[in-house]
Amino acid sequence: MQTSNARWLLAAAALLAASSASAAGDAPAAAAAPAAAAAAPAPAAAAPSSPSGTVTITDPKGDDDGPGTYVYPTDAVYKPGSFDITEFKMVPKGDTVEFTVTLASKIDDPWDSQAWGGNGFSVQMAFIHIDTDHVKGSGVRDGLPGTNVRFAEDEAWDKVVIISPQGPTRLYSEIDAKCPQWKSKIIVPKITRASGKTLVAVVDTAQLGVPQTTWGYQVLMQSNEGFPAKTDLLTRKINEFEGQHRFGGGTDYDNDPHVLDILVPAGGDPVKKQHEILSKYNKAATNDVKPDDLAVVPMVYPGAK
Amino acid sequence: MTRILHRPLAAGAAALLLFSAAGSADTVNFDMSGKIYTKYMYQNDATQGCLSMSNPFWVDNIGGHNGTCTEFELNIKGRVSDKVSAGVRLQSRWGMIWQDWWENGDLKPGIIDTSGESMGMNHAAYIKLRGAFARIAAPIPTVNWITIGASDLSMWNEWTIGKARYIDRDNGNGVFIEGTAPGKLFKYTAGAMALPKLWAGPGWQTGVSGNDPLASLYSTDWAFAAKFDARPTDELRFKLVGTLVKDWEADRNSPFLTGAPNAERGADHSVALATRFRGANATLDGAWNPDSWDFLAVSGLLAGSSNYVNPAYATNAVRNNQGFSPVIFKQDDKGNAISANALAGTLLVEVQDPFKTGLSVKFQYFNIGADYNAIMGSRREADVLITDGIIAGGFTRGGQLPTLNIANEFQDWDEAWYESCIGWKGGTALFEYLNGALKTTFEYTYIGYNTNMQNRDTKNQYPDFLYTNGFTDTTAFTADSDYANVYDRGKDPRSIYAQYQERRTHVAVVNVQYLLPKLPGAVLTMKGKFVDDFDGRIEKDNPTNSAAINTANAKDDYHGREYLGLVSITLQPTNELKTTLGYELSFWDEKNRDGSEAGGFYHSTTRRHTVHAGLTYAFGGALLSYQLEYFNKNLYRDRSAYYDMRWNVWRSKATFEVGW
Repeated sequence: MQTSNARWLLAAAALLAASSASAAGDAPAAAAAPAAAAAAPAPAAAAPSSPSGTVTITDPKGDDDGPGTYVYPTDAVYKPGSFDITEFKMVPKGDTVEFTVTLASKIDDPWDSQAWGGNGFSVQMAFIHIDTDHVKGSGVRDGLPGTNVRFAEDEAWDKVVIISPQGPTRLYSEIDAKCPQWKSKIIVPKITRASGKTLVAVVDTAQLGVPQTTWGYQVLMQSNEGFPAKTDLLTRKINEFEGQHRFGGGTDYDNDPHVLDILVPAGGDPVKKQHEILSKYNKAATNDVKPDDLAVVPMVYPGAK
Repeated sequence: MTRILHRPLAAGAAALLLFSAAGSADTVNFDMSGKIYTKYMYQNDATQGCLSMSNPFWVDNIGGHNGTCTEFELNIKGRVSDKVSAGVRLQSRWGMIWQDWWENGDLKPGIIDTSGESMGMNHAAYIKLRGAFARIAAPIPTVNWITIGASDLSMWNEWTIGKARYIDRDNGNGVFIEGTAPGKLFKYTAGAMALPKLWAGPGWQTGVSGNDPLASLYSTDWAFAAKFDARPTDELRFKLVGTLVKDWEADRNSPFLTGAPNAERGADHSVALATRFRGANATLDGAWNPDSWDFLAVSGLLAGSSNYVNPAYATNAVRNNQGFSPVIFKQDDKGNAISANALAGTLLVEVQDPFKTGLSVKFQYFNIGADYNAIMGSRREADVLITDGIIAGGFTRGGQLPTLNIANEFQDWDEAWYESCIGWKGGTALFEYLNGALKTTFEYTYIGYNTNMQNRDTKNQYPDFLYTNGFTDTTAFTADSDYANVYDRGKDPRSIYAQYQERRTHVAVVNVQYLLPKLPGAVLTMKGKFVDDFDGRIEKDNPTNSAAINTANAKDDYHGREYLGLVSITLQPTNELKTTLGYELSFWDEKNRDGSEAGGFYHSTTRRHTVHAGLTYAFGGALLSYQLEYFNKNLYRDRSAYYDMRWNVWRSKATFEVGW
């Protein structure tokens, strides 16, 4: 198949997929994903879009504290700035799309990821959530297991790219075990690596679709946990107090957002905005956390006027 | 908080839960996790066990290449209250092979045991308390945390007290205080840690009476450490670490120990302590990441060490153990014991893709004093230099650490090897080019040696580990006889000092990784490596040479050249399955590798072909890995002095683990 033809076909397929998302069963099954099982109204029509060029979203330094209270684990491998997003970039490159997440600190490999089939870094992990249609009732409102956040109804994600130091077999195994209902929406990149301060992921447009100007993005910054809790997709917990390998400043329950840094829409003080967004969770919910108890994180639509 | 309690664990856990009920915690406060790990090993030899390299000197009965072993681990963490937490790790003893039916550890030395031939507790798989800790956020000014109990000691660094190797991760115990100075001027950590009775001192022990007749007390031995971490600006960070290792013995001149407890003799039922060994290490390291030049990162470290051995309480292992010692027994000109002192430093400049072309470069300068030593430094699973080093091969990886106490033991044939970098002086240039599916690196390193010296005292002061020359074949290194690597003496990775050394080394390495199109998850990996290692040994023109040097050996220069090539391809046919197939060719041409100044030296060449296949299969929380390797190695030596040797080795290792 010629590349250019393939690209057009993929673009068409992406539009078709976007317009028929909920009808095709993309809304999560109630039994498999109870947190996402809120009634999904019929989606509205997607806005007109065109293939996107490079997307760059910057994020301020020093806001790797979630709602403003989170602190790093005490072990020396969690260097200051290790989870502080400074720039997110999406670069279409023919049949592939390159995502980069740049952090405030150089990315090391203190746990020798080669020894466990990893990707050359150890501590960081980023979930790039993408809303391909911006349509109410389409997509998934829940964050991936262990992130403890949700998305707004009209900003639910349709694809998520995982940048993890774990090798693909381990990632797929965890996805199978913890969120099989979203397997088709989760993309494990064909290339994952770290270079300097930047995490790099390359995915095929055949999996992702051709990026459109209308797409929205949200990067949830997390930390790779090789021995995660039963419900967590390789995410590191955030507790009330920090530990050697646990973040502190949150709660000991699963009501607080387990993300260190996120992107926020333009306008206003971005740090303040992030703190406000991630502070809006039900602190009284402890043992029986419901979806509505969780903080709602926004998508960022760089193509929006 | 996650609550997990599984039926198979219920019986064992029940007792713990009941026990805890007496306190304030209930089951809600328990966070439990378990893991079963099984390993299968095969090799076409006559050894049995599930551990390639056990104790390298006195091979114990868990080391060997044929067997299947299983272990179980249970972690329990408890939230005692908002500000107090605690945890334990219980794990079965490694070494029980599946054939060990009914093994109860009831070894009866010297008695024929007709009912099972017990192999002892090594094979009994008993559950052992591996570590227990409690953590308290006490309301003390500036103090954030107090931790009492097990720790992996990762809060210091490789140059002082290093992170314990993974299998020792809960074996270290201590009391630790972490805090923040007013105004967040700096963070601090202070700790007192019990020294391990094994390996952390002269003779690889801290005074076990059966192993050193000059010592008998090890329960009083401690290490103390403090760390200050400051970040004056977002761009600048400093860290100061100081550690003191103290191995004390009872003062054998204490009146209470030398005669009747008569007050007139000065005996007062107290015993003073005398130093057997003292190790002091300190580092100051910093990192500068300028905002205006985001592509630039500069980091450096300055370290110092001082090690003193008291010969009245520590047997000289350099003199008595053929030069095998993890410490220097330094003496002055009159033969009095003195401290071995040294400095070390590294400087790393990283320039990350400054022109947005995909090209990055790192430069590292290193200069590590000849007498530097971190007795409690990291022994493996860390790396202080960016170079590939000398010891790393193709399928076998490696690293460098500033201690004589390197631990290439209690590990399998597929694990990384570490070499000591004490005395190394030189630099590395590492270029990296990234472009889509392609990642390449090129490294050039020059190593000079602060340890170069003529007529060094390796009889009484400086350990030479007996084997100071030649490339170390980590692939064929074995401990399946009475001594490590008895069949092919390469350089001992701990060996730093030679009686005569004028050495320099060049290392060049190229790595290529390329994601192949069309094939699922296909990655092509290639590596090429060249090492040129030269040691002039006796330098006759050196004015420090004594007349006693045998000048008959005009041709004693060691010159080793290593050529290595590796190619492997990885495929991922399904989401769950990943496969690898690779080939490595190594060729070593070593002039004057073996022999002695007195008897002359002899050449050797080594050619090794290695084929390696592997797979991992992960599904639903279960992980299977399997590796199969064949290597054919030929060692050709001067037939007038030695016989040739050949290896035809098939071996495999499979692991299966499930965690919950």
